[in-house]
Amino acid sequence: MPAFVRRASGAAVARWNTFWFEPGPAMTLGICRMVFFGMLFLWQLPHDFAPWGEYASVFWMPIWLFQTLHLPVFAPSTLVWVQAVWKMALLLSAIGLFTRSAMFVAFTLGIYLLGLPHNFGQTQHFDTLVVFASGALALSRAGDAFSCDALIAAVRRGPASTPHDSDEYTWPIRFVWVAMALIFFAAGLSKWRHSGLAWIFSDSFALTLLRQQYHISDGDPLTSWGIVVAHHAWLAHTLAAAAIGIETLFPLTLFSRRARAVLVPCGLLFLIGIRLLMGPTFEQFMMCYVFWVPWARVIAFVRQHARGTRKTRAADMPAPAEPPRRTVLLG
Amino acid sequence: MHTTRRTFLNLVFGGLILGSAYDIATDTEHWPFSQYPMFSGEWRSPTFTWLRLVGVTGDGRELALASNDYIRPFDLSRLPKALRQMLDQDDGRARVAIAVKDCLRRYEELRADRRHDGPPLAAMRLYEVEWRIDPQAANVDRPDRRRLITEVKQP
Repeated sequence: MPAFVRRASGAAVARWNTFWFEPGPAMTLGICRMVFFGMLFLWQLPHDFAPWGEYASVFWMPIWLFQTLHLPVFAPSTLVWVQAVWKMALLLSAIGLFTRSAMFVAFTLGIYLLGLPHNFGQTQHFDTLVVFASGALALSRAGDAFSCDALIAAVRRGPASTPHDSDEYTWPIRFVWVAMALIFFAAGLSKWRHSGLAWIFSDSFALTLLRQQYHISDGDPLTSWGIVVAHHAWLAHTLAAAAIGIETLFPLTLFSRRARAVLVPCGLLFLIGIRLLMGPTFEQFMMCYVFWVPWARVIAFVRQHARGTRKTRAADMPAPAEPPRRTVLLG
Repeated sequence: MHTTRRTFLNLVFGGLILGSAYDIATDTEHWPFSQYPMFSGEWRSPTFTWLRLVGVTGDGRELALASNDYIRPFDLSRLPKALRQMLDQDDGRARVAIAVKDCLRRYEELRADRRHDGPPLAAMRLYEVEWRIDPQAANVDRPDRRRLITEVKQP
């Protein structure tokens, strides 16, 4: 193998390892776990999967995963139990009690329950990232901080149980980053592939915004702003260009801090825009944004700010007045 | 981190990247992997057709079931697409009749559970409706054309 190829491959391996396994704080991953599973639990709590088991077999159009694994749709009574165990696992994963087992159950039952509706005529896409995030957490040590398990360990073993920075706390977060980047990129590429520049410069986007007003989505648009946008061609073209630009360029967030600072908030605004203007419900996808927050730094900043405020307050306070001297009469 | 675990995790990362790359390259879908094709096509037509369920009350009035509340756990995107797939099969009409019967049963279940405030239904119809896209979307409740596909009555 030529030397330059060896050097290049060596550098690539080093970058790969740094990206995934750079030591990171347990706190960031612990908070991601707590917030992600907590929001997912609250979101899924009112959802009932049992009725899927009541539909006639004409509705059953299994997707690849269910066909390959020969997964059936269970009877409603079974689904009631499966979802009860799943929701309990989500709650335990959030609070961090029996965390590793809970996250494993949350992932395995989650992939079945979240995948189940897609066997009924349409594959929707708001939960794929949730599946990937749950899978990464199920294999991780996300319960080492901000969890009941960590509290119990601290009581039993004392402060020595506080985890140090480790490569174990970085890769699950990066996994969600990569999955999100792939999803955005794929969506952008689909538009280039099927429509090209016409997706931006034709009336297509304006007509799509209007069509979405006719109750044809899994959720109706939260506003009628889509009609307003459709009436201004320049605005529709600008938003279409922004959408396809954000999607296609999103993988840059994996390599550049500057790109991250711009594209990550833009991606979130883009999803909120879809909900407001077009309807599709990407709330579960948005939950995965917790993995972009550098929680350890946020908490350090808040603590420092709070300490600074306390010091300033103490300095501003007038010195306490001396108590009046009492004259003690002796004798 | 132990070498075995690191190797295993690298395989997991590779699985995510290669699985996604495969679906992107081949323009196919293997949930949870996907090429994410939503809204990717160029829409040029000023009209569009859709399948819509309509409830029929005892006195013959029709109620467009244009809310997810009437058809949960389905939604207004998934149900019409499922029905369309059935219709495209050889015995499509028979399949759709069974499916609409199920939808009627589910509507009444949800009504009994007070999950929606719709009236009791004597029958349910499936129409293929066509709209000319209105600049204000003011004709949502008044499609330009509709064709009855099937009707099922309460047993």
